[in-house]
Amino acid sequence: MEPLLHIDNITKSFGSETVLHNVSFTLQEHEVLSVLGKSGSGKTTLLKILAGLEKEDDGTISLSRKRMNDTPPNKRNIVYLYQEPLLFPHLNVSENIAFGLKIRKQSPDVIKTKVEHMLAEIGLEEHAEKMPHQLSGGQRQRVSFARALIIEPKVLLLDEPFGALDAETRVQMQELFKKLSKKMKLTSIFITHDLKEALTMGDHIGKIELGHFKRYESKQDFYDDVDSGAQQEAAFWKQFN
Amino acid sequence: MKKALQILFILSIFFPIAFLLLLSLGRNWPYPELLPQSLSLENWEFLQKSDSKLLQTFFLSLGISILVATVTTALAFITSKHIALSKYRNKLMLLAYIPYVLSPVILAATLHFFFIYAGISGNVSGVLLAQFFIAYPFGVIILNNFWNHKTRAIEELSKTLGSSSWQTFKNVLLPISKNALLLCFFQTFLVSWFEFGLTNLIGVGSVQTLTVRVFSFVNEANIFYAALASCLLILPPMILIWINKRYIFATETVI
Repeated sequence: MEPLLHIDNITKSFGSETVLHNVSFTLQEHEVLSVLGKSGSGKTTLLKILAGLEKEDDGTISLSRKRMNDTPPNKRNIVYLYQEPLLFPHLNVSENIAFGLKIRKQSPDVIKTKVEHMLAEIGLEEHAEKMPHQLSGGQRQRVSFARALIIEPKVLLLDEPFGALDAETRVQMQELFKKLSKKMKLTSIFITHDLKEALTMGDHIGKIELGHFKRYESKQDFYDDVDSGAQQEAAFWKQFN
Repeated sequence: MKKALQILFILSIFFPIAFLLLLSLGRNWPYPELLPQSLSLENWEFLQKSDSKLLQTFFLSLGISILVATVTTALAFITSKHIALSKYRNKLMLLAYIPYVLSPVILAATLHFFFIYAGISGNVSGVLLAQFFIAYPFGVIILNNFWNHKTRAIEELSKTLGSSSWQTFKNVLLPISKNALLLCFFQTFLVSWFEFGLTNLIGVGSVQTLTVRVFSFVNEANIFYAALASCLLILPPMILIWINKRYIFATETVI
């Protein structure tokens, strides 16, 4: 099957420092690719390039076989979600979720129906009129998800979306994401530095280290790779058996 | 103690205003009388006299300050964004302080030749431009902090959600920057409104703003007319403070 997203030899430097070295990989439709990477590995730069927020120095990005390198971010239909759930502070929950639909000039009735449906999906029906500062971190992240999903993006880019959440909320959010991802048949790249989260969330795993990207054929491949850190993690937990 | 401090604070604001009002109504106030010997509205009738031009001066000042504040706020908003994104941010921000390090009067003296050469010395456009030179860097300094990492991220997010640059500006940046823009407008309005040295030098007596007129009355030792002009002078700032308290602090947007 033809991949939805095709990344070919993306290179990016800031001054004399090369952040991405010939990054190449593909992403199938409805696939969730988890990408592991430490701070400074180039993962955020890679996502920003895919979203059109940074310009690559070299290489090509194709979405549905169409070259996207010169397409502005608002025309790509690729949504980039930050680690911090950035809600528009002047809009309430409903208005935040409806943002992308209003930009697309959908009718008020359609917007209302879709927003109500999305509020139900994220379990925040009773908070529809609340302002962002009245929500908890987990609730803000849910709204942030809903606002991205409602416009049905071709690709969703998640940059350590649960990194700032406490352990319990993080698990809840992972479950919600998995549920919505399956239901809405999302295609997404999920960046995390948490090995367990990468394995839980992704259909496939990739790893980015010092600007070099590696995609594993399967989760077993990932486990078998000594450098992936999976075996060390497993050994750590086995000692308690 | 808290109550006493509150009363002291209120008195410190209202006493000078009440005193100015009293002075503007006063007639015949010889030393060592505690209060003027008579009070009347006669000084205020000076406003209506055609030769006083005090009302015209008031509206001219208002026009100049509104124009300077509006143009400054609009341009400072754009400039501060570009400076914030620049890798030379700190160096460029240092430049913004130069008019204040030099002092506005010295800046005016330095630039006066060019104003004469351009034929705008002694007319309103010259005063507008001169005041803009002072207010603009101040506006950039005020708005520079608005363009932080979070604002940039919100702007990018809006774009990936499908907004064009104009839609992002109209639907996101403008609403979230409302308070910063109003603050910038108010502050630069006040800079322009109370500007004396620069305006006096570039206006060369032909363009008399209200602040310049107050100083003229003070120089003439006409304390009653000086008080009257001062009453007009503090009117717009008082209205601005009220708007500030009523609409800005009350509706502060949490980013």
